Amino acid sequence: MSDYIRICEVEKYYGSASNVTRAVDRVSFQVDKGEFVGVMGPSGSGKTTLLNMLATIDRVTAGHIYYESTDITELSEDALSDFRRDNLGFVFQEYNLLDTLTIEENIVLALTLQEKPKQEIVAASGQILKLLQIEDIRDKFPYQVSGGQKQRCACARAMVNRPRLLLADEPTGALDSRSAQILLETFTDLNRRMEATILMVTHDAFSASYCSRILFLQDGKIFHELVRGEKSRRVFLQEILDVLSLTGGVLSDDR
Amino acid sequence: MTDKIMKKLSFRNMKRSTKDYLVYMLTMTLVVALLYAFGSLIFRNGLEQYFSMKLQGLMGVMIGLATFFIMLIVSWLINYMVKFMLERRSAEFGIYLLLGMKKRTIAGLYIRENFLLGGVSFLIGTAAGILLQQVLMAVMFSMVQMEYRLSIAPDGRTMLMAAVCFGGCYLLALFRCKRKFKRMNIQALMNAKRRNEEIREKYEYGKQFLFPLSVFFIFLFWKMFGRLSSTQQVMYFLIGLVVTIYLFYLGLSAFIICYVRKGGAAVYKGQNLFLLRQFASKMRTMQFTMGTLTSLFTLALLGASFALMFSDYENSVLDGKFPFDVQIYSKNTDDDFAEEKRVIEENAAVSSFYSYHIYTDEENTVNTWMLTHLQAWGAMFRNGDGTPDEAAIERVLRDESGDGTYYTYDTYMGLTDYNHLRELLGYEKVGLGRSQYLMQIKPRLEREVRKIGEELRIKDASGRGFLSCAGILAEPFSQDGHNGADYVVVVPDEVLGRMRPYYAELVADLDGQAPFGLQEKLEALLPAGESEEALYAEGHVAGDICCGSDTIINVVELNLVRDNQLPEVKYMLATMIIPLFYIGLVFVCVAVTVLAVQQVSDAAKYQYRYEVLSRLGLSRAAMERLIFKQLAAWYLCPALLAVVISGRMILFASDRFIMMTGVPTSVGGFFGKSVALFLGIYLVYFVVTYVEFRRNAFVTAQTGSLHLLQRP
Repeated sequence: MSDYIRICEVEKYYGSASNVTRAVDRVSFQVDKGEFVGVMGPSGSGKTTLLNMLATIDRVTAGHIYYESTDITELSEDALSDFRRDNLGFVFQEYNLLDTLTIEENIVLALTLQEKPKQEIVAASGQILKLLQIEDIRDKFPYQVSGGQKQRCACARAMVNRPRLLLADEPTGALDSRSAQILLETFTDLNRRMEATILMVTHDAFSASYCSRILFLQDGKIFHELVRGEKSRRVFLQEILDVLSLTGGVLSDDR
Repeated sequence: MTDKIMKKLSFRNMKRSTKDYLVYMLTMTLVVALLYAFGSLIFRNGLEQYFSMKLQGLMGVMIGLATFFIMLIVSWLINYMVKFMLERRSAEFGIYLLLGMKKRTIAGLYIRENFLLGGVSFLIGTAAGILLQQVLMAVMFSMVQMEYRLSIAPDGRTMLMAAVCFGGCYLLALFRCKRKFKRMNIQALMNAKRRNEEIREKYEYGKQFLFPLSVFFIFLFWKMFGRLSSTQQVMYFLIGLVVTIYLFYLGLSAFIICYVRKGGAAVYKGQNLFLLRQFASKMRTMQFTMGTLTSLFTLALLGASFALMFSDYENSVLDGKFPFDVQIYSKNTDDDFAEEKRVIEENAAVSSFYSYHIYTDEENTVNTWMLTHLQAWGAMFRNGDGTPDEAAIERVLRDESGDGTYYTYDTYMGLTDYNHLRELLGYEKVGLGRSQYLMQIKPRLEREVRKIGEELRIKDASGRGFLSCAGILAEPFSQDGHNGADYVVVVPDEVLGRMRPYYAELVADLDGQAPFGLQEKLEALLPAGESEEALYAEGHVAGDICCGSDTIINVVELNLVRDNQLPEVKYMLATMIIPLFYIGLVFVCVAVTVLAVQQVSDAAKYQYRYEVLSRLGLSRAAMERLIFKQLAAWYLCPALLAVVISGRMILFASDRFIMMTGVPTSVGGFFGKSVALFLGIYLVYFVVTYVEFRRNAFVTAQTGSLHLLQRP
């Protein structure tokens, strides 16, 4: 059993004593180094809550989350800030770029927070800009580029630190199909070439078919798991669709 | 590197804030400029040296007081804006937290940005303030009819005061927002922009009655305000008014919501549904702020109107108050004024002296008529049936209260003296028959005493017959105690035979201007117990001299040197006028800024709504009209309420002011002028908001809607 990332009996309840909603109900799983894991499920199944807890944005009600030997559920607020900075990368549906900074500066900002030397920052940002093919727009402001380019910039910012885990919440949600495909190929590329470990929440079967393993969540519990193995993406996509048809399909994402 | 990019980040953020909150920046700059310009009057008041001891520091105290109230409101504005910008940028702060920035660092970044913003306002504002201060000094010097030479130089103490006041407000606001940062939570921040505006609608049916109720209270206020007779009643009414101002908006928004729900006819016309809903929801979220803005507008209108009243007095009445170059009173009827004449001659070129007596017959027929007929006294000296209240009249004439309104006995002047004085003033001489008398009265009272001739019975020289009234003259004649109080009865010289001299007067006609300080030198001649300061200390405002029915502004001096006295009174009035304008100006600007910023920064939210409307087929022109209507309603609402409320108080006060001081303005004049002044400032802000809002709302067409959703 790998101990790269372990989620142990994690629970998250909302509401008061008389009216409790179990958003996540005793969920346990592991993520291996270099895995590309997808989390799918209908609205209100607890996908985003689970991701937020892994992302240290939300606290668990019970259970533990270990990144190797570190239990993030025990960390103080300041320690969590440092942990996020050094170990996690985020890609959200809304890009979350700072619109007063250029594309390149958005990426550089993440590195400067780690107080790395200038040469290293310049080299790392140059490399990731090239890898994600956004070199030619490096000096543009977010409002001057397309949604797909913005999302690749967000990806670059998330990956430039070489985080232990890249968390993506509906990253293709606001993109057209071509941009979505490019982004997913970028994820696959990052996963293969940089050995990035990725956890992606999505309700879109096509996006999910790029993952190596998929966890299906319903009512806060994992009810199914699919592993791609050596299967082609097309076959894997069909398997996903089959699982979804069992649960009545997934309509829209929950927030 | 970290530091460099953080600096870049805060600088760019500040630049963006400047663009988004242009109106706020402009107001802050203006406030600093005003703070500097008016504040300089505390430390570097070039005028003060010319005036007597009792005026020293007066301007400083008044400006200091005004500054205190202004700083209260400005610190409210800064606090409001710092909080407001913080909320607008929650998603951005969420990203910082996600990237692993610590809360301290983010708070530091935000504080740095705000200090940059404040710093820029401060620098530009101070520069503008130095210029404005020169304008202000020039205005003040011209107010007191002196020449001012420009001297543009920054004053260290003023700058320090402006910095301490302004910086203090910022520090307070930022200290409070630091606590807010501590309580922040990433998830709430990240989700903030995704949430729809929360529209809480509860108990609307009940709340809507607050609207007619507050309208009724305001109606009652209009009806009753002039009739309130005790301080207690006024207090109750004012408390009621403040409550009404705050509840009005709650009621109005509920009223509109209920109207829309009921499906009233107007809902189905044009874009009314959109407008009404938009207006009601904005009113609901802003109700408390709207109440505060209405109060600020009301205070600003009141301040401006009072300033206009005093300034009108200064321009139209005051000059007539001192017609003679020098005039001296002496209660000693044998006084030959030798000492005074010597001092005047030593200090100025005298063209002529003239000394004379005011006489009395030791009766008070005229005084009684005045006390029972003039508006200023109302029913104070009348019994219920309209007959004179002898006891009250006796009390006031015996001067037991020490307020020196009228002399104990009626005042008379001989025709020869009268004509001599008229000649000195350049008036035409008058003639009188043996059995006639003339009434010389203050210009203000001319209309009120028309019937005095028919009702007064003044005995002739023999004491058996009566004189008839040959007319009433109302040119300025120094009647604040010198040539009688309010009036002097002019009789043929032989009638004086049955009277006794009451007090002595000396007038001097000078060649050219009187030198500074002449009045003080004359005052120094008074015996120790009769000096002005001694009389003030005893609680006798006027001592032996009586000033008549003037209230509000009284100038009572035993020794009057016009060229000394006039600038001094004008300066004293300026110490009222300037702070009142200062307060009014800042209050209006602060209030309009909040209105403007609320709308402009909401434009991003409206972009989405307008885009939806556009997709539904609304033309660009129709949308522009819609924006205009929306902004106009938003701007007009608090202004109208303030105009209605302050209107009653201002009209009442103007009526009294005109009656008591005799300024020649119509009752609505001051109110009209201050509303016009106020609308001028309002219009500037409205245009800026409209232009900004349109620009923001239609940006969609160029950049696409995704950009809108992405902006934090």
